[in-house]
Amino acid sequence: MGDLVDSMLDLMRRLPPTHVEENVASLVAMCPDYADDLLGSVDQPLKVMTDRATGKEYLACDYNRDGDSYRSPWSNEYDPPLEDGTTPSPKLRKLEIQANEAFDTYREMYYEGGVSSVFLWDLDDGGFAGVVLLKKTLNPSAPGEPSGSWDSIHVFEAAERGRQAHYKLTSTIMLQMVDRSTAARGSKDDSAAAGTKSPGAAAAGEKANGGDAKREGEVTLSGSMTRQTEQDFPLQDPSSHIANTGRMIEEMEIKMRNLLQEVYFGKTRDVVFDLRSLDDLEKARRQRELQKELVGFIKR
Amino acid sequence: MDAEERIQAASKFLLQSPPGEINDVLNDVRNIISDDESLQAGVLPALREYNLAQFITADVPGHQHQSIVSEAARIPSGSADEDDEQSQDRYWDPRSRTSFRFDHLSLETSDPEHVEPDPESEPFRAALETASLTYLSSHYHDGVVSVFSTPGSASRYIIQIVANKYNPSNYWSGRWRSEYIVDTDAKQLTGKILLNVHYYEQGNVQLSTTHNVSLSLPPAIAASGGASAASKVLALIETEEGKYQSSLNDTYAEMGEKTFKGLRRALPMTRSKLDWDRVLGYKLGAELTNSKGVFGSA
Repeated sequence: MGDLVDSMLDLMRRLPPTHVEENVASLVAMCPDYADDLLGSVDQPLKVMTDRATGKEYLACDYNRDGDSYRSPWSNEYDPPLEDGTTPSPKLRKLEIQANEAFDTYREMYYEGGVSSVFLWDLDDGGFAGVVLLKKTLNPSAPGEPSGSWDSIHVFEAAERGRQAHYKLTSTIMLQMVDRSTAARGSKDDSAAAGTKSPGAAAAGEKANGGDAKREGEVTLSGSMTRQTEQDFPLQDPSSHIANTGRMIEEMEIKMRNLLQEVYFGKTRDVVFDLRSLDDLEKARRQRELQKELVGFIKR
Repeated sequence: MDAEERIQAASKFLLQSPPGEINDVLNDVRNIISDDESLQAGVLPALREYNLAQFITADVPGHQHQSIVSEAARIPSGSADEDDEQSQDRYWDPRSRTSFRFDHLSLETSDPEHVEPDPESEPFRAALETASLTYLSSHYHDGVVSVFSTPGSASRYIIQIVANKYNPSNYWSGRWRSEYIVDTDAKQLTGKILLNVHYYEQGNVQLSTTHNVSLSLPPAIAASGGASAASKVLALIETEEGKYQSSLNDTYAEMGEKTFKGLRRALPMTRSKLDWDRVLGYKLGAELTNSKGVFGSA
């Protein structure tokens, strides 16, 4: 019943992004027959794992999963170990190694930290597909600063056509930011107005306003956005695939970063100001009425 | 999962619905559970809980205004049986002095009855209500406010405000909820503000905020203070909400400038996009100079 999966996906587009994992787990428990369909279609935050062989970190998601084990792009081994885990063909594995190194540089240039992983797999029709994963987490460096996390999941398909290749890309970026410093800011405003200093007023529930008011709160902005694109690129040698997908993904991330900025910090804020006006609406109405009267008076 | 567990899971989903989308969530859940009968009966408690928490508004029967259906508005039926109690729920609109039954599935009111207000608390409650209605039209484009007194008390009042905006054709919705408890004996104002915004065009982005404030009322504010005391209370609320909205602006600015950039730069420090040919060449060069050398390796 494709209808059932559609309903599950629609549901996941409405439920709070902060609870993706629990909600997906509930859906899987409710409809175990559709678990694979669901897990393959819903993006969940990437998990960071450590490669036992090299000590390097890598990302885990449905694309490098086999049963309950995850494959490391560095050692090509599964954790927990598997006898017969799915791995790319030797030729593709070579490309995968190169891709991981290239995107490691990409990661450092744009994310200045974080973790990246690339996984490739052969397709039945002769082409191949892959996923480029990037994850960065920001923990507040001081109390009262926002925390955040960014997860990129870029799934692509490559079809070789002689000296060209055709690529299809579906990119999802999950972004979450949490701020618990409302109290601090409120306190700063009060103490600034009162002309007193309020050092260390960063803790939630801090007293302010002459030691009278108590305030605490939390602001959470979370979610994900998905975009798709298709493009042809020239193919000189196998490693052209890396430069081609690299350019495509870089361009896509630039576009999506702008989009996320607009939606997260523009659109959601606009809705809040649509709900409540900072300025007095009655005063504005009275002013307009007064202006109309004056204009009418002048015209006579 | 057995049938009961599935209903419980479905209930959890309903309670997480974004503003204005509970019907969409209910439809999805119906498709997933495909057992309408047990679903309908099983999720009614969740629907009720959701409505009360989200300050659902009802068209007051026989009047032109809306009132908030919340826990503060509920008149317990006095029944010992919990299920019976829930289905016999009546809700009170102090403004029209009416109580009514409310169907949490169809959202319809029925069976209106006159409610005589408590003579001790009513004067100040009415004063607070008048001041609140003025406050509402000054700051809310599409809001509803209800002011409740507490049974058995002449010093405790609850002001609740809800404002909704739904725009499904542009894939967004939002809800503002505020609640203030005015205690004229303890001289305390305790409030909370809850915001929820959902944007879902090719994605799912949500803003969720909570804010709790507790401040003392000036000694002059007493339940006997009438209109002037009531205006002062609303002035305090107006200042607090304005402060909060401004601080939200600041939070947005900080998240947008610092946190967002700290997660991923707009461009590398070189201020230009990556030179991918060089990236691949560089790695190859690094391998060649590396003593673990790759001369002629597969």
